[in-house]
Amino acid sequence: MQAELAFHARRAARVVAVTTTRRAARSGALWGYVFGAAVASSAYGYARLYPTAASRAKLAASFSGNAGIAAVLGPARRIETVAGFTAWRIGVVLTVIGAIWGLLAATRMLRGEEDAGRWELFLSGQTTRRGAAAQAICALAGGLAALWAVTAVLTVAIGLAPKVRFSIGGSLYLAAALVAGAGMFLAVGAFVGQLAASRRQANLIGAGVLGAAFLLRMIADSARGLAWLRWASPLGWPEELRPLTGPRPLAFVPIIALIAALVGAAVAVAGRRDLGASALPTPEAPQPRTGLLRGPTGLTIRLTRPGILAWVAGLAILGLVLGLVAQAAGNALSGSATLERAIRRLGGQHGGAAAYLGVAFSIVGLLVSLAAAGQVAAARGEEAEGHLDHLLARPVGRARWLAGRLAIGATLVIVSSVVAGLAAWVGATSQHEGIGIGRLLQAGLNMAPPALFILGVGVLALGLWPRTSTPVVYGLIVWSYLVELVAAAVTTNRWLLDTSVFHHITPAPAADPNWTAAAWLTGLGLLAAVAGVAAFRRRDLVSA
Amino acid sequence: MSCAAPQDVDGRVSPSYGEIQNNLKPQAMTAAILTEGLSKTFGRTRALVSLDLEVPEGEVLGYLGPNGAGKTTTIRLLLGLIGASAGRAEIFGVDCQASPVQAHRRVAYVPGEASLWPTLTGAETLHLLGRVQGQVDPGYRDLLIERFEIDPSKRVRTYSKGNRQKLILVAGLMTRADLLLLDEPTSGLDPLMERAFRECVAEARGRGQTVFLSSHILSEVEALCDRVAILREGHLVEVGTLAQMRHLSALQVEAEFDAAVPDLSAVPGVSAVAVDGNRVRCQVTGSVEPLLRVLAAAGVRHLTCREPSLEELFLAHYGAAEPSSEATRAG
Ligand SMILES: Nc1ncnc2c1ncn2[C@@H]1O[C@H](COP(=O)(O)OP(=O)(O)O)[C@@H](O)[C@H]1O
Ligand SMILES: [Mg+2]
Repeated sequence: MQAELAFHARRAARVVAVTTTRRAARSGALWGYVFGAAVASSAYGYARLYPTAASRAKLAASFSGNAGIAAVLGPARRIETVAGFTAWRIGVVLTVIGAIWGLLAATRMLRGEEDAGRWELFLSGQTTRRGAAAQAICALAGGLAALWAVTAVLTVAIGLAPKVRFSIGGSLYLAAALVAGAGMFLAVGAFVGQLAASRRQANLIGAGVLGAAFLLRMIADSARGLAWLRWASPLGWPEELRPLTGPRPLAFVPIIALIAALVGAAVAVAGRRDLGASALPTPEAPQPRTGLLRGPTGLTIRLTRPGILAWVAGLAILGLVLGLVAQAAGNALSGSATLERAIRRLGGQHGGAAAYLGVAFSIVGLLVSLAAAGQVAAARGEEAEGHLDHLLARPVGRARWLAGRLAIGATLVIVSSVVAGLAAWVGATSQHEGIGIGRLLQAGLNMAPPALFILGVGVLALGLWPRTSTPVVYGLIVWSYLVELVAAAVTTNRWLLDTSVFHHITPAPAADPNWTAAAWLTGLGLLAAVAGVAAFRRRDLVSA
Repeated sequence: MSCAAPQDVDGRVSPSYGEIQNNLKPQAMTAAILTEGLSKTFGRTRALVSLDLEVPEGEVLGYLGPNGAGKTTTIRLLLGLIGASAGRAEIFGVDCQASPVQAHRRVAYVPGEASLWPTLTGAETLHLLGRVQGQVDPGYRDLLIERFEIDPSKRVRTYSKGNRQKLILVAGLMTRADLLLLDEPTSGLDPLMERAFRECVAEARGRGQTVFLSSHILSEVEALCDRVAILREGHLVEVGTLAQMRHLSALQVEAEFDAAVPDLSAVPGVSAVAVDGNRVRCQVTGSVEPLLRVLAAAGVRHLTCREPSLEELFLAHYGAAEPSSEATRAG
């Protein structure tokens, strides 16, 4: 009987190990295809767009030694060759994507499963906690191997093309360099997963580590004379591997050492802590933070603060990156007939960095609008979840609650768009691009009116048909963006184009903002919001 | 011969619901709750049909009905969380639908399903809800936290369903509001906590607070309430004190004879006659005098008569089962 139970437990454990390994491998292989596609698009694209030695030399001249570009993509080495350009163009991007994949996969497998209670079943068998962690890490290693294998096979295949011509060894080495970030952050995820109290917390700590490593690498790559600092950031090591340009396999030493140390530590900690517990000391009784909890609006700030800070920080970083690369991108793209046509169609008059920013800022506009939509969805969520009942059953007026949320949403929209403009100015100015702060602040603010309009429409939908409010705002954004992206290229039908909220703003700073249209958008949004609040006061509360 | 009914047993006529209301109507006091023709229709569902109800200040009213009877709808109408399809409602003389904010100043509401902000701790939730209400008795709050054994330092996300329910109960009770609107407040509570809750309602009554207790737990209502209102498919079918309700319904009579059982089916007011050897069981509505006369003439040896429990009253209104003495919960 006992033996039979033990047998079943062992078999169950083996089944779990096999399924988790298979799942990790599938996910790794899937991302391997993405990595391969990135290699292909940048190698073939380069070969097609820059067929002659002269065009390659011109490109190299505009990108090499540009600190802004280096801060974002790493130092450009031998980009007058397909190999050099490909390794440079995708290196940092895929390393970061791989790192995020590794972090999430590790915290899911080592912590998410445990939080969901599936490990209890597993551990009631014969496996020890340490053994279970080791098995999960083996499964993750399988995932990493799959990521490398698929990337390597695809890279070798791409490298065989006559216009590309990577050596087979070089392709394998490139694939290894591209997945190094994934490997390191798998280990980081495994380790912080054991330290933290929940998967969420583990992800937050891991993201902090990733952000710090990225920042350090950015500083090291952008400032002359600080290249040695690259060795201080794990994300600098894959760069030091220098695939396809001048391989330095020595850089694998810190990478492998870090992975080994973190995995060893993760297994050790796993054996010492309780299931579902954290190794980090968690404050038993967190001090209540009641400063904001004085009324509905304070509560909204308290609840949405993490999201608000993330949006503002994200837009600041985006603005900074756009500013950093603006000059080089503007130079490289000037003379591109396609881009100039696009700018002119959108009403732009300026060239160079301003033209590039004018086009690139449409992403800022999209993100600010998504932030506004998120505020509408959050308001609806409060009602759908039944949280709002607790407020409105007390002496809180409906108009007061909704107007407070609206004010917070509008503030978020305006602050984040201005911050994006300001950060773009900081980035551009650091590259000695002479674009004025006023122009970039205006370009940022120019992105607010569509978002304010969406906020107003969202409030109107919330007042009239609450269940539709979230789909309405997101649908409006997706529709508008599709119209901008697709329809604007193939049609000149005014009616169709006018249905896009983004069609009513100019591509500042490539053109001057159209403040009249902006005022219309904002005014209509305000009108919709007022009508929405009035309707909300009259209707039944509707749960999910 | 034993008879458990304390009321007079003869001359019983069925007074209309309106008469009971009039008898109980407090004279020069504003009612805590007053509804006139209050109705709510959701699409085709008539959730509440023309509710006329008056709850005088200081009363504990049990609002009974099975799931879907319209209890929650009534309370949400009183709070103005949903709008009335017809009719009106007042809380302490303030129109609930027209001026909800003013009406809510004297009200505490405890919903049956506590969905709270998961990222706030218990203490933060109580702080927020106290500030929003604008009125808290801190000493009583601390007593309640102790009585319901809540750990307020934990995040609500980590609370069990029962603990969330206790937290929302404390949030309602700590305000010492003049009117407590409780919507099945003990769902998910264990028996110990249920007892703590009953203690709280008794205290509230002692302080002169009005309590509107929606429930489908009959023992709870029987133990706590001055009056009971019974709701069925959106209609108010019965309202009154338990004593009055019992008065209105059939007595259970059981008799044992030395000789043969007489034919009782023709006796006025008697129904559901069941003969078993020399024993007979029947129900009697209205005056028991004719029955007593027949029984005495036939030489009754042993007689018990029992008034119906709330359970039997309740079931009688739903025809769900024959009145029985087993205590089961209706849901
Ligand atoms: N928002 C709503 N939409 C549609 N029907 C509803 C809604 N709320 C309640 N109902 C219906 O109204 C009736 C009464 O519901 P409710 O007041 O919740 O009953 P109780 O609280 O007594 O269980 C039920 O038939 C229910 O299905
Ligand atoms: Mg209910």
